[in-house]
Amino acid sequence: MKKILLIISREYLSRVKKKSFWILTIVVPLLLAGLYAIPIYLAVRPQEKTTVLVVDDTKLFDGAFKSSKEIVYQYAGSLDYAQRRMTEEDSVSAVLYIPARETTIPGDAFLYYQGSSPSASLQSDVSEQLQSHIRTIILQDVHGITQEEFDQVNATRIKLHTKDMETGKEAFTEVKSAIGLVLGLVIFMVVLTFGSQVMSGVSEEKTSRIVEVIVSSVKPFQLMMGKVIGIGFVGLTQFALWIMLSMVGFVGIQATNPELFEAAKARQNMTEVATKGTDAVEQMQALNDAPVVTELVQGLTAIDFPLIITMFLIYFVLGYFFYATLFAGVGALVDVDTNAQQFSLPVTIPLMLVMVLMPAIINEPSGSLATWLSVIPFTSPVAMMIRIPFGVPIWEAAVSVGVLLLFVPLNTWVAGRIYKRGILLYGKKITYKDIFSWFKKK
Amino acid sequence: MLQAEHVTKQFGDFYALHDVSIDVSKGRIFGLLGPNGAGKSTLIRIINQILQSDEGKVIFDGHEIRLSDVEHIGYLPEERGLYKKMKVGEQALYLAQLKGLSRTEAEKRLRWWFKHLEIDTWWNRKVEELSKGMQQKVQFVTTVLHNPKLLIFDEPFSGFDPVNATLLKKEILRLRDEGATVIFSTHNMSSVEEICDDIALINHSQVVLNGNVKEIRQSYRKNMFHLEIRCTDSRTITMPTEFVVTNGKEEKGVYTADVSLPPTASSNDLLSAVMSQGQVSALQEILPSMNDIFIEAVSRQ
Repeated sequence: MKKILLIISREYLSRVKKKSFWILTIVVPLLLAGLYAIPIYLAVRPQEKTTVLVVDDTKLFDGAFKSSKEIVYQYAGSLDYAQRRMTEEDSVSAVLYIPARETTIPGDAFLYYQGSSPSASLQSDVSEQLQSHIRTIILQDVHGITQEEFDQVNATRIKLHTKDMETGKEAFTEVKSAIGLVLGLVIFMVVLTFGSQVMSGVSEEKTSRIVEVIVSSVKPFQLMMGKVIGIGFVGLTQFALWIMLSMVGFVGIQATNPELFEAAKARQNMTEVATKGTDAVEQMQALNDAPVVTELVQGLTAIDFPLIITMFLIYFVLGYFFYATLFAGVGALVDVDTNAQQFSLPVTIPLMLVMVLMPAIINEPSGSLATWLSVIPFTSPVAMMIRIPFGVPIWEAAVSVGVLLLFVPLNTWVAGRIYKRGILLYGKKITYKDIFSWFKKK
Repeated sequence: MLQAEHVTKQFGDFYALHDVSIDVSKGRIFGLLGPNGAGKSTLIRIINQILQSDEGKVIFDGHEIRLSDVEHIGYLPEERGLYKKMKVGEQALYLAQLKGLSRTEAEKRLRWWFKHLEIDTWWNRKVEELSKGMQQKVQFVTTVLHNPKLLIFDEPFSGFDPVNATLLKKEILRLRDEGATVIFSTHNMSSVEEICDDIALINHSQVVLNGNVKEIRQSYRKNMFHLEIRCTDSRTITMPTEFVVTNGKEEKGVYTADVSLPPTASSNDLLSAVMSQGQVSALQEILPSMNDIFIEAVSRQ
């Protein structure tokens, strides 16, 4: 027992002391955060002001174009004049020309540019303003609808609330899908990275031949379990650090952007009021126009994080043991000149499969495919973690965990058997036939 | 000290060891000989409890060997290796603790050994920065650090450079003199004659020969002698016809020859036959080398 603790602590410390462990622990979340932050930043960053000159021969669009922070619309008398200004002034990036036609409603408009073509957002802004104004003209002139009536119609929104019949809580399917996706990915990565660390650790000991010295002091099984447990603790350490980091980040966001959270809270309260009476409809309307971020924050506050973290820990530990023991067996089969992939592929294929099926699971988290995948122990850690945010019946979770619990000792036994034989077989190509013969009764 | 009794080990249909018995006495160096693939390493692994025998048992210090006995055994496997990325001192401490030493005791002894072998400056270096010879020195220290009663070396000289091999030999003999028992597996016969007290010869998974090295060589004596005689002309030397002369040659007035005598004759008969024909300067019995015995025993089987 003392010796297995020695092995665990060596496996643990030798990895945690490495610089690469800390780099991975701190840089990876930052990198991931950066990956999401970049598009958001690009979307919200202040853009340069640019001017579009409008040459309207139809005279229908007088004052129709509304300038925004980025795009300023100016009217110009003639196309020649406008184009000359574009060549002279840098700030003018495009000229919109709406030619007159015999019919009152124009069918074409032209956006002229010089040098680089105008941005997609500029083009869509121009196109949208054209479109909406032409509709307004038709509605007002042809159908006799006033501006107020039109604005009112335009402002009407209906928001679909998907709610649990018993608790009355909102479903937040998008948020749950995102969380499920992240959880599934994290479990997949954790199992694969730490599993393959076990594999390379075992094969390193075998190829460096240190293993024979060590198994003359401890039982091979102790060495294998020491390694699996030690590396498992490395994984838990990393996970704990990630949780801490994200909590720091969460609190940080809350402190710097309190309005996000207040808006979310306000909306939640409003939703409750709205279910009772209709007086708040107008306020609701205003809040419904709140940015997507608010909805995300609101969704996050509605998720049961303690449950998710508990389930994550259960599936992390069981899934890790399920795969790490198998990887240890595979590592014992690898020698200097053998191809590790030959033996590791059968172990990694189920993991890859569940990754491929991830969209299908998210699409139908209670479907029969998702249910089966979350019971089969090879796929259950990933599949179940994807499903957890959507809510899983207690008995299904129990069956899934139970099956894993059954398989972990079985895998450990199989792997221990392979490990014991494999680590001492040098310079001989091991075949699947050999491995099967190790399990035959004498 | 250590006995293996009727040990049998099978891998599938293949017998790695078949009814093998050896008896290693305390304070002696026991050579386990045999060609590659004879089963030496399997026997050593069984003694180290890395493998379990299918039949038979191993007796260590009077009792059937048990797991705790590994703390009294030091094992240097044929395939040597250390953790490449670990520092030398840290690694030696780890291996010593696995053998049951406390950290402080292990460190104290390691400091002594590192000083003794003049390798103290390596303590904080990573193993991968050391040369192969240096790594082997470190590994030797880790093998003997816990003062094992029984030392097992599997092909200890393979891969050692001559300087380290000599050092190793010296250290092995010193440890033996301090009371350790040594098992020594090799197919290099010349090292056997030099340092082994007893041997067992294993071939095709069976013991074909065992006992004291000197006694074995005596029992394989061929009644053959090396003769040196000073004479004026070697052509005048005559011998009884039943004496078979090989390698006879003359150089600067000294005639040398290897003479095989019939079982009935003795060295005195040879001496009296040639005494009158010149000045006998040397007469020495030629004992068969372990190599010859090895080949003979193996081919006789």
